[in-house]
Amino acid sequence: TATGLTKKLATKARESLEQQTATSEVLQVISSSSGDLQPIFETMLANARRLCEAKFGTLHLYDGGEFHSAASHNTPPALADLRHRFRPHPESGPGYVAKTKRVAHYDDIRTGRAYLEGSPVAVALADLAGVRTTLSVPMLKDNELIGVISIYRQEVRPFTDKQIELVRNFAKQAVIAIENARLLNELRARTTDLARSVEELRALGDVSQAVNSTLDLATVLSTIVSRAVELSGTEAGAIYELNEQLKELQLRSTYGMSEELILALSNQHVGLSEPIFDRAVARREPEQIADLAASPSTPAQDIIACAGFRALLVVPLFARDRVIGALVVRRKVPGTFPENIVDLLKTFAAQSVLAIQNAHLFTEIDEKSRQLEIASQHRSQFLANMSHELRTPLNAILGYTELILDNIYGETPEKMREVLERLHSNGKHLLGLINDVLDLSKIEAGQLTLDLADYSLKDVVDAVVSAVESLAAGKKLSLTRVVGLNLPVGHGDGRRLAQVLLNLVGNAIKFTDKGEVAIKATAENGSFTVAVRDTGPGISPSDQGKIFEEFQQADNSATKRKGGTGLGLSIARCIIAMHGGRIWVESDVGKGSTFAFTIPVKVEQQVVEP
Amino acid sequence: MSKCILVVEDQEDNRQILRDLLGNAGYELVEAADGEQALAAYAKQRPDLILMDIQLPVMDGYETTRRIRADPESKGIPIIAVTSYALAGDEAKAMAAGCDGYITKPYSPRALLAKVREYLS
Repeated sequence: TATGLTKKLATKARESLEQQTATSEVLQVISSSSGDLQPIFETMLANARRLCEAKFGTLHLYDGGEFHSAASHNTPPALADLRHRFRPHPESGPGYVAKTKRVAHYDDIRTGRAYLEGSPVAVALADLAGVRTTLSVPMLKDNELIGVISIYRQEVRPFTDKQIELVRNFAKQAVIAIENARLLNELRARTTDLARSVEELRALGDVSQAVNSTLDLATVLSTIVSRAVELSGTEAGAIYELNEQLKELQLRSTYGMSEELILALSNQHVGLSEPIFDRAVARREPEQIADLAASPSTPAQDIIACAGFRALLVVPLFARDRVIGALVVRRKVPGTFPENIVDLLKTFAAQSVLAIQNAHLFTEIDEKSRQLEIASQHRSQFLANMSHELRTPLNAILGYTELILDNIYGETPEKMREVLERLHSNGKHLLGLINDVLDLSKIEAGQLTLDLADYSLKDVVDAVVSAVESLAAGKKLSLTRVVGLNLPVGHGDGRRLAQVLLNLVGNAIKFTDKGEVAIKATAENGSFTVAVRDTGPGISPSDQGKIFEEFQQADNSATKRKGGTGLGLSIARCIIAMHGGRIWVESDVGKGSTFAFTIPVKVEQQVVEP
Repeated sequence: MSKCILVVEDQEDNRQILRDLLGNAGYELVEAADGEQALAAYAKQRPDLILMDIQLPVMDGYETTRRIRADPESKGIPIIAVTSYALAGDEAKAMAAGCDGYITKPYSPRALLAKVREYLS
């Protein structure tokens, strides 16, 4: 009838809806799960029982040939004492599932071989719980059996195909749930691992930063010890440094140690002979005592035990082959230290060695710098003193000679005059030598500083010319100068540049016996160029390299006759270099010489010579 | 009336040279062998020019110059520093202390005389 059909359809629809609702309910629980399978299984079993009109349901997980109970719903109290882990009878529902990986559907458990053969599970189910019809559905993952869902009726009434299908769906979902939970747990473990790695890295980073950024050894070691203790899950730690002379391990930094403990340990004067340190050093590896109570006692270990610590880990600090100390962590709870912790502490130990070595190096550098500074100051003072001491008597010699020549002390006889002139020129020569030696000393000490100020190149040339005019005239040499018009104002050490030019012109006059000495000064593209040309004997290419070196003169008996220390050109080279310029010579034998230098017009800072 | 020059110089030889040189040139000389004597001489009679050796014992020439310059009435009196010019910055130091000019040792007496004449004209 129409009504009958509608009713049937309605029932079917209602059933479908119920089933779908149940399914979605389970799925919801799965997706919102925090990895806890219990609620999922229970929801599942509850829905299965209800929709399949069963009395109660169970979920067992399978591994290694055994089933163990994972969840149950509405199980009669009588079964509460049932063994939760069992090997299935091959003819029982679970047994059949285990064998075939297929659904086991028994109309009546009492007629089954398992019951008849007295299998404890079957007997309990049938006799204690009144079970008759059973349905066991396999939970398969990649075609492997991982569990079984069973539902039970207390009457003989087989389950419908639809109901069996429903439970099979639940079984599939249970597998998914289990897989999810597994993945979630693995993810959690990985995340925990990662978090711990990040923590360790951060700690290592802290330590590295401390080692690199602060020169304060105490701060660095303190950072290392505290991080080491935190990350190793211990309560206290210390870094010892080996005092070679006293052969004692001295506490350099501590964490979580009371004043009394520190004092007590210090008074023990622990050395490398202490067994645990001895072992660690001998093996060059960390040593641990998992339980002080179970280990042979030593005075030092007793003190530590009294303070409440049970487990120790000692990591020796090695700098190449030498032992320089140890990093120690102590735990109040006994037990071995896991390998990853030991590895971590080895890294911290390496950092400690670095820090200690760095600190020693820095102290050494500091000390050496101080000594260098003092030596430099002494040298500076010495040069200043020598300058004064040498110049004072020379002043008297030159001064008096000049006064006599000026007839201050009466008319000076002609014969005496000549001698006095020679005295005076020798005195001036001596002055020149002293100045050169002092200058060179300063240069070598790195203490020649340029007096940088505005200067006029024209004035410099004029000053030099007026200083040597009489000298050139005396040798009947032509002394000419060509100075560019509108020369820019220079910035540098005018006095020193005059010294350089005086040296070049003086040499030119000294070595030229006839002809001319010509000075030319020009400016171009921000540089000054000054050249001194003479008509002297010229310098061979092989000598040209030597003349700028200290104490070298062109190898020629002629130059030896002319005298001089050979310092002037090397000083000139230094002064020009300090101005950031260069000096050179163009010459050949029999063709005269041109000495020239070029410097920037504006020198704001003197160039440090390497 | 001849001009009066205060010579502050610790070395006897150098004082002698200046005495002979400047005396012969017609100047009146007052001599001081160190900074304290210089301040006393300055207080007793204002000179027309001061020749100040920088390398003096106890109180150096810079300090002596500073103390003289502390007196506002010293403004018109030229002070010429006489220095061994050992270290860079000596000239700047002299100027900063209150000197008007400088001459380096060893000096040519003729050159010194020319400079003195320049400042006293």
